[in-house]
Amino acid sequence: MSTDSMNEEGGPTTTEITVTVNGTQVTADVEPRLKLSDFLRYHCDLRGVRVGCEHGVCGACTVEQDGASIKSCLSYAVQADGAKIETVEGLTNDDGSLHPIQEAFHESHALQCGFCTSGFVMATKELLEENPSPTREEIETGLEDNICRCTGYQNIYKAVESAAAKMEDD
Amino acid sequence: MSTSRSTEAEGAAHSADGTDEESESFTGQGLPRVEDHRILTGEAEYIHDITPENCLHMALVRSMHAHAEITDIDTSEAEAHPDCELVLTAEDVKADYNPMPTGITEVHTDEGTGTITEWSLADDRARFVGEPVVAVVASNRYAAEDVADLVNVTYESLDPVTDGMTAREDETIVHDSAGTNIVDSEHLTFGDVDEAFADADQVVEGEYFWGRISGVPLETAGVVAQYDADTDSFDIDCNIQLHTLVDDTIYDTLGYDPDDVRVSVPPDVGGSYGTKIAIHRYCCLAAMASQKLDRPVKFEEDRIENLQGGDMHCSERNYKMRLAVDDDGTMRGLDVWFVDDFGAYPRYPVNQVLKPLSVVTNSYDLQNVSYEYELALTNKTSQTAYRGFGVDPHIYALEMVVDKAARELDIDPTEFRRRNLIDESDMPYTLATNNIYDSGNYAATLDRIEEIIEDERDGGYLDPEIVEEKRAEGKYRGVQPSVIIEPGVSGSDWTDRQRSDRDALADRDREDVTELPEHLRARVESDGTVTAFLATDSSGQGHQTLVSQLLADELSLLPSDIEVDYLNSADAPTEYGSAASRMAVMLSGATVGVADELKASVESTAAAHWGVDSEDVVYREGHVERIETGEWLSLGDISAIESERDGSPTQVSYDYEHPATAFEEFDDAFVEKLPVYPTAAFGANAPIVEVDINTGEVDILVFHTVRDCGTMLNPMIVEGQAHGGIAQGIGAALMEEFGYDEDGQPQAITLFDYLLPSIKNIPHIEMEHTETPSPFTVTGAKGVGEGGMIDAPASIATSINAALDPLDVDEPADRIPVSPAHLRKRLRTLEE
Ligand code: FES
Ligand code: FES
Repeated sequence: MSTDSMNEEGGPTTTEITVTVNGTQVTADVEPRLKLSDFLRYHCDLRGVRVGCEHGVCGACTVEQDGASIKSCLSYAVQADGAKIETVEGLTNDDGSLHPIQEAFHESHALQCGFCTSGFVMATKELLEENPSPTREEIETGLEDNICRCTGYQNIYKAVESAAAKMEDD
Repeated sequence: MSTSRSTEAEGAAHSADGTDEESESFTGQGLPRVEDHRILTGEAEYIHDITPENCLHMALVRSMHAHAEITDIDTSEAEAHPDCELVLTAEDVKADYNPMPTGITEVHTDEGTGTITEWSLADDRARFVGEPVVAVVASNRYAAEDVADLVNVTYESLDPVTDGMTAREDETIVHDSAGTNIVDSEHLTFGDVDEAFADADQVVEGEYFWGRISGVPLETAGVVAQYDADTDSFDIDCNIQLHTLVDDTIYDTLGYDPDDVRVSVPPDVGGSYGTKIAIHRYCCLAAMASQKLDRPVKFEEDRIENLQGGDMHCSERNYKMRLAVDDDGTMRGLDVWFVDDFGAYPRYPVNQVLKPLSVVTNSYDLQNVSYEYELALTNKTSQTAYRGFGVDPHIYALEMVVDKAARELDIDPTEFRRRNLIDESDMPYTLATNNIYDSGNYAATLDRIEEIIEDERDGGYLDPEIVEEKRAEGKYRGVQPSVIIEPGVSGSDWTDRQRSDRDALADRDREDVTELPEHLRARVESDGTVTAFLATDSSGQGHQTLVSQLLADELSLLPSDIEVDYLNSADAPTEYGSAASRMAVMLSGATVGVADELKASVESTAAAHWGVDSEDVVYREGHVERIETGEWLSLGDISAIESERDGSPTQVSYDYEHPATAFEEFDDAFVEKLPVYPTAAFGANAPIVEVDINTGEVDILVFHTVRDCGTMLNPMIVEGQAHGGIAQGIGAALMEEFGYDEDGQPQAITLFDYLLPSIKNIPHIEMEHTETPSPFTVTGAKGVGEGGMIDAPASIATSINAALDPLDVDEPADRIPVSPAHLRKRLRTLEE
């Protein structure tokens, strides 16, 4: 309902927030009910943040907040005030070349429709940061909160393993 | 059995600058996809990402009742909201637009002919939970939902009918105007069924249930509609599937000519698997709102809307199967009866009750078949297509009764299957239903999967000692393979069988058959690169990669010299598109054809330029050479010459005829409007299952599969399709279901209740391939998109039967999904 979010003039109440998104500071006036996922997609124009369920199951909206991966559909933009957010757009190198995880997903054919991909790439990043050479079981545990409906996950295992090898070489 | 393609380019592959390279062909290689970069960097534009300037947003008020009279709609409070731009009800829709086309136009009963009318918004009656009743438009989605909350709808609830078997009794009728809930039925017989059943030693019967499931792509439906008052026409962006085929559901509803409703699909769609074919309602409503407001209007379905009322559930069937067999293990006759619960409206994919006819006896040589279906309406959201298009439940029910027959005959179930397999020497094999299997050695595939199982028995998951140990813990292991066919490359002529006068079909002849070819265009750009234009849409299958690979080979260019783009529904001819495991075959055929056209066109332009005959020039290595002198013109030069002469660059198109039309063998099926699927991919699975009899849970320890889809154009994509299909088949077999309670309330409206398999639920898939080219297609390729979804559920179900064989439970997997709750219930009878 709108009533709780109206100010005296009948417009929605807003709050000013400042968030560092992919290294850039963004300041915006947002409604308290604005989801972080929508803030990133529409205010920051980071459309690589995908929204598949808005109730925390699919993981398509996975981003990194202060170094830990979160589901951005489950938190509000106001909760990210002062935080550092990284999205898939932030992974690509300045010269446009792909991050090893992105490269590995491409080479291993770990994406088909690609709607889950941003989320998987971000979840993989967190997994490999914590555990640079995960076993199959560890990959399973690390990625179990993300759904892919196309690939049957077989090539996602391969991609994670190949990304791990690439990152070790770097 | 090996790849034969790649010879067309005369053994030579060349780069665009004309330098010779090592002889090598791109087709047949696992070339990484051109689609990936934009997706991986977050740059891909899915429908949710398209928001034109000045765009408004729509939200829908949906019925919370399964069945109710709508007695009043009060929109005054909503209209008073400062952000409200528009409120639409059925009254507005009826004043200016048409009902949406329905899959069944006439319903025949003893009392006469009935009809079904579906408006884009519920009229005086709501027929399922989630049915849109009111549409509102506001400045953004948050505000639109605020406005929607202020609409007041008064309902008087009615008794609902919530399953197909009850619907048959017609106590509660979903559409009074139809006069019955069974809005279509047919009984087809082939061969001498009566004789077979009377004469056989035994008749084995089984009853099976296939629960409601769907593809549930990660991306929900979305649309952006813009009405243009100057031209009185619409531009609609939507992630609808088959936009060049089903666009009539939009322009007919709006009451406009096809050319005035341009439907475009973004190059990236977040999965569809058939399920986005029937999302036209959203296009219609957004277009109407845009016309009323003269501004772009966007609608993005949310996940709850999608699961409860997104017009995207698929088959829900009760089967009664009978198999006539002789004591020596010979199958004599098959009798299939089922009712399919279609939900509230029979939508476009009504013919998925017929598609199983294309593989009616699966891999078995059996010519006496009775096939009868009833299509029931109930108070649930409407059905659409889903990967397999109704074949998956059929194969499941068939393999269940085959299993049962083997047990009753006391023959090993694999041996029973082997005795009845279609022999390789009988290929091409004509089924009782007149469809034809093109090629394959089914016995060899069964032998190979048995070898793999033997290996598992020898120190693997099925090692007798381990199996014994596990049993002591209450964990039962087993496996039961069968050879399963994936029908590919549907023709289109049969798909309106249910809207045809079926008695008149006997009088048709071959000339009456109209097929839709696959259309492809190509243009030579001034820099010598080539742009191809697809007349279909994609949702992750890698069509852009496939076409660039094939066209590069045909033209001796590099895949990077080829761009692949898409046509909108007005520019493209009406054609079938991406469904029914068609595209590998249809697009490859069209690509070879368009390349020939292109070569002929540039040769003739070059010949005219030099003032010589076209025999005096030759296309070679990305340019045209004048044979006598050795001078040459690059593709870019030629396109510039053509531009100067005609004002437009070199541009050609090609329509690839459906392959079956060239073979007389298919004439009977065509004429009788029976499903025509000229490629038969096949495979055998061995999912090693472990059933925990204490919890009812089924764990698949490893999923072995041996598959053959003819020539593999891109093995990497082929494997990806198989992985994805098998994963969806595992979800269907064990986890997913749209359950309803007796009031018609959907029980799975979030992804907490509709369980999609995660990486934890999908076992390691161990895959092998053989390649038996199709004699019916240009490249030898067969259809490949649906296989796993068609064969995995049946294989898992029969493997569960096998695992629990030592216990005295009759057909434990007699319903899909085989959920833990179901198995516990079946096992409890054992304890009593
Ligand atoms: S959109 Fe956030 S978890 Fe699905
Ligand atoms: S690639 Fe389609 S959902 Fe993962």
